[in-house]
Amino acid sequence: MAKSAAELNEALAEAVVDMDEGAVAELANEVVDQGYDALGAIDQGLAKGMDKAGKLFEEEEYFVPELLMCSDAVNTGIDILKPHIKMESAGEKHKIVVGVIEGDTHDIGKNLVKVMLSSANFDVVDAGRDVPPAKFVDLAVQEGAQIIMIAALMTTTMDKIGDTINLIKERGLEGKIKVVIGGAPISPAFAKKVGADAYSINANAAVRIARDMLGC
Amino acid sequence: MPELFFQEQDQRVSVEAGVTILQAARDAGIIIESPCDGVGTCGKCQVQLKDAAPGSWKCEEAHYQLPAELQEQGYVLACHTKVYGDLIVVAPNTAKQNKTLKILSEGESFQYEIKPWFQKVYAAPKGKTFVLAGGKKVGEEEGDTTKQFYGLAIDIGTTTLVTALIDMNTGEEIDSLSALNPQSLHAQDVITRIHMASKPEGLVLLYGAIRDEFNHTIQELCKRNSIESRYIYEVIYSGNTTMIHLACNVNPEPLGQFPYTAVIRGGNTVPADDLEISPYGDIYLPPIISAYVGPDITSGVLAAQLEKKKGTTLFIDIGTNGEMILAQDGKLAGTSTAAGPAFEGMNITCGMRAGNGALELYQIQPDGTPKTHVIGDVKASGICGSGLLDIIGELVRVGVIGKSGRLVKPDKGKYPDVLKAQMKEKDGKPVFYVAEEVYITQSDIRQVQLAKGAIRAGVEMLMSALGVEAEHVDCVEIAGSFGYHLRESSLIDQGMLPEAFRGKVKFVGNTSKSGAKAFLLNQEVRTYMENLVDEIKDVELSQDPKFQDVFVKALTF
Repeated sequence: MAKSAAELNEALAEAVVDMDEGAVAELANEVVDQGYDALGAIDQGLAKGMDKAGKLFEEEEYFVPELLMCSDAVNTGIDILKPHIKMESAGEKHKIVVGVIEGDTHDIGKNLVKVMLSSANFDVVDAGRDVPPAKFVDLAVQEGAQIIMIAALMTTTMDKIGDTINLIKERGLEGKIKVVIGGAPISPAFAKKVGADAYSINANAAVRIARDMLGC
Repeated sequence: MPELFFQEQDQRVSVEAGVTILQAARDAGIIIESPCDGVGTCGKCQVQLKDAAPGSWKCEEAHYQLPAELQEQGYVLACHTKVYGDLIVVAPNTAKQNKTLKILSEGESFQYEIKPWFQKVYAAPKGKTFVLAGGKKVGEEEGDTTKQFYGLAIDIGTTTLVTALIDMNTGEEIDSLSALNPQSLHAQDVITRIHMASKPEGLVLLYGAIRDEFNHTIQELCKRNSIESRYIYEVIYSGNTTMIHLACNVNPEPLGQFPYTAVIRGGNTVPADDLEISPYGDIYLPPIISAYVGPDITSGVLAAQLEKKKGTTLFIDIGTNGEMILAQDGKLAGTSTAAGPAFEGMNITCGMRAGNGALELYQIQPDGTPKTHVIGDVKASGICGSGLLDIIGELVRVGVIGKSGRLVKPDKGKYPDVLKAQMKEKDGKPVFYVAEEVYITQSDIRQVQLAKGAIRAGVEMLMSALGVEAEHVDCVEIAGSFGYHLRESSLIDQGMLPEAFRGKVKFVGNTSKSGAKAFLLNQEVRTYMENLVDEIKDVELSQDPKFQDVFVKALTF
């Protein structure tokens, strides 16, 4: 007997947590074959699984490799499901700019945040690394992003984050563009000091913060 | 008075008619090798006279006979040739002093001649001793002080300083002192130190601290060995690039920002005005290889003679930055990878420096009971870097830590019951006790995974840059005082090094210091290394898109 949409979504979530790309592909194809809602399978299946994986990451059960394998599974599923999303049901995705601050090239943490945000169905604009403050702000304006997430991995570069926030104020964009920061040398106290809207302790927290900020 | 022009030394000397060339040279502070002290038996003091007019010199017969063809080219024995008119003398710029060859005992080293940049020559007629640097006179001292001739080789570690007092006549290491790098009290890791020293007041503090420590060490070494510090003529600074900047009072800010450039490139001497040594003294800075592969590694390459080794050798200094050089039949490539401060015990719940109370050895015996050693033989109060790697390596080996890095719960694990009893809960999370009050947490393991993954990724990327397979690496040399306390098995069991390296790992000790000694005692290796560093291929990891994949793969055990 064919599985229901809800059953398939649940199985998808589980396959993501299990890092099982093969199972995800099989289940996603089944969703398509049955004519179930592809967007629902992404939201209620893949994204849910990634949420669980993120939680396990925060609980130190999962580490970077597991998280990336989960995300690979999510991407496999999205590739299969995406062509079948009905246009009218696909709402506008929220855009978020992510990048590593000027002077810094350590981007694995940033890439992890990007993976988590993408899996959570955000439209991520990757500014890359060694990103000057003006480029962050310009990109956010250009892309219509409401959030900029900035990583710094060295104490020698983190001061530039403050420059970015000041620039947002100077351009009168305060409140319109929010800044979330993170990285090894960053602390909540530092975030407060430079006037960031939030501090994210890890990649999973970044998703939670983004959802809170955008109310989604 | 006849005038002698010593061409190589670019020095003109007026002499009394009838003195020997050797005597004239000695009076001028120019060294012509004369092992038999001018008796005329050894033939080592030969010099070439250029376009000498007849009657401007006269050669007395010596016991040693110069070969006819050399005589035809204008060669004479300096000790038996008297000067009567103007002469152009070609004498080797640096005397070959056939002193005993030295094999250094600690830190791998090699044989080299004692031929320092500085020299001292007693000019008997004047009753003075000339001090020469690079063959040029830089000062003079009353009386014969040639016996008092010392130098310092300093390994400037981020955490510790090791200063060796060397007799530059014999090459002997008279004494050595270790001390904490006082800068670490203000800023522990390299990046924090760069950040601090980027501000003028920070640099003043950090430079002042290390200068005072150096001077204190110099006084202590001199007192202990009854020598006067004014007879110390040269100091070698060997350390990572950041430490060299800070020891030279140079703002290291560009090192902390992409594209990470060094202000100091090394391969030169700088004045030693702030050190309490001879007023004629200087400091030599070995050349850097790249911003994050510093003079300490250059010293290591020299000490290990990497470019001369047949086959393939991997040389690694494990620390906050894993600096490594891969040498394949004379072809060298180097890189550095950010391992973070976990190996220094930072970011580790029970982490501490390698001082009293630090658990430094942890070995699980066949019956499952751990054998441990604590520095100072006291009760364990924490874990130092080497202990941490030991613990992780052993726990991975016996299955307390799974492949993904997770602590395996006792009910699911197949490891000995003695160890299961050590797995407890703290604040609702599993922790593993390695001593009564000392434990490791899941997040400690994650920190080690990041650190060892960085080293392994560096090794993999370096091998791939030279097209070397792990199986074809003949020898792995682990340098550094930290590395010296590690065991091969704990490095391989946790995957910091590939399995194929088993049985090939050698711990070579403080090659930063032994290399610095070679730089101090033999000036020729300076030029040699200054040229060699340009030949070393710089493998820049952060620019390579493959790095992240390799790194993530290297995180697992």
